[in-house]
Amino acid sequence: MIRTLLIVLGVGLGTYLIRAVSLSLGSRVRWPDWIRAWLGYVTPAVLGAMLGPMLLLPDGAMLSPWRNPALLASVPTGLVAWRTKNLLWTVACGVVCYAVIAR
Amino acid sequence: MDRVAIRQGLQDAAPIVMAYVPIAMTFGVIAIQCRLPFWMAILISVAVYAGGAQFMLVSLLASGTPSAAVVGTVLLVNLRHALYGTALGPVFSTWSETKRWIAAFGLTDEVFAVTSGRWSDTPPTPARQWTLSFTCYASWVIGTVAGAAIGRAAPGWLAHDLSFALPALFLALLVLSVARRAHLVASLVGAGIALMCTWFHAGGMGIALGGLIGATAGMVVGHSWQRQAGRRTVDEAG
Repeated sequence: MIRTLLIVLGVGLGTYLIRAVSLSLGSRVRWPDWIRAWLGYVTPAVLGAMLGPMLLLPDGAMLSPWRNPALLASVPTGLVAWRTKNLLWTVACGVVCYAVIAR
Repeated sequence: MDRVAIRQGLQDAAPIVMAYVPIAMTFGVIAIQCRLPFWMAILISVAVYAGGAQFMLVSLLASGTPSAAVVGTVLLVNLRHALYGTALGPVFSTWSETKRWIAAFGLTDEVFAVTSGRWSDTPPTPARQWTLSFTCYASWVIGTVAGAAIGRAAPGWLAHDLSFALPALFLALLVLSVARRAHLVASLVGAGIALMCTWFHAGGMGIALGGLIGATAGMVVGHSWQRQAGRRTVDEAG
């Protein structure tokens, strides 16, 4: 639990420093355009990297798509996300679809 | 602090609070499911205060990823906040350094969106900005406490069904973050790299590597597409 506590505090401090240093520097210097462009691509890249293994290799093993409830549930969930652009609706729909498919 | 500024700050905060409470509750439920103790779930919201990154943090903690990889990956996700500070810096340039460092704590995606949306007509005063920031922060922490309490009371079957809340939330965040085709390229390359790492049992590195390589690939592709589009417009005009 000490390990978890240190990780949480490290992430908290790091996140705060990212916000504070950039705000402090941003008041004085202008960052190069390519760095700003690159930062805009980090979020979709990381989210893709989180989701890929979660959906395609649950528990580190390849499953047939028809036996993989997470992958099946992600289809309607993705559609709802795209249509509504709403976090809550998407999560609610995803959980219900997953519950129905996994049973 | 004057009353008008505080009232304006509360008005700015209202729509964010409406969104934060249910999302923070979802976080509380998921953190408990990932077998974190009640106080740890709340500490994460108190210390980190960054929606998507907190969900990633608990899922990485639950998966037994090495500590350095957990910290590195979550900070990579939060690196986009540097963009917000950089963009808002000029707005706060008349503030003292201490006031800026206090305002920086509450600079989440949503607070940034609200602040940058109105900066051109009225540069925010410290009182208004802090009221906005810390009202949102309070709602985030309170929502987490409520969610963690629900998570503790939830029966096993419900906890199993709720385990899909995390991928569902990531899917929603992904759809919201893909504004251009090049963003989709970034996420597909990121997914491919992470899948390879998991396949070869180096899953701990997968997300950080996928994020770095995916973002770079997206930027390169986006840049070349932009140049092609630019050349086409010039050809048509000429």
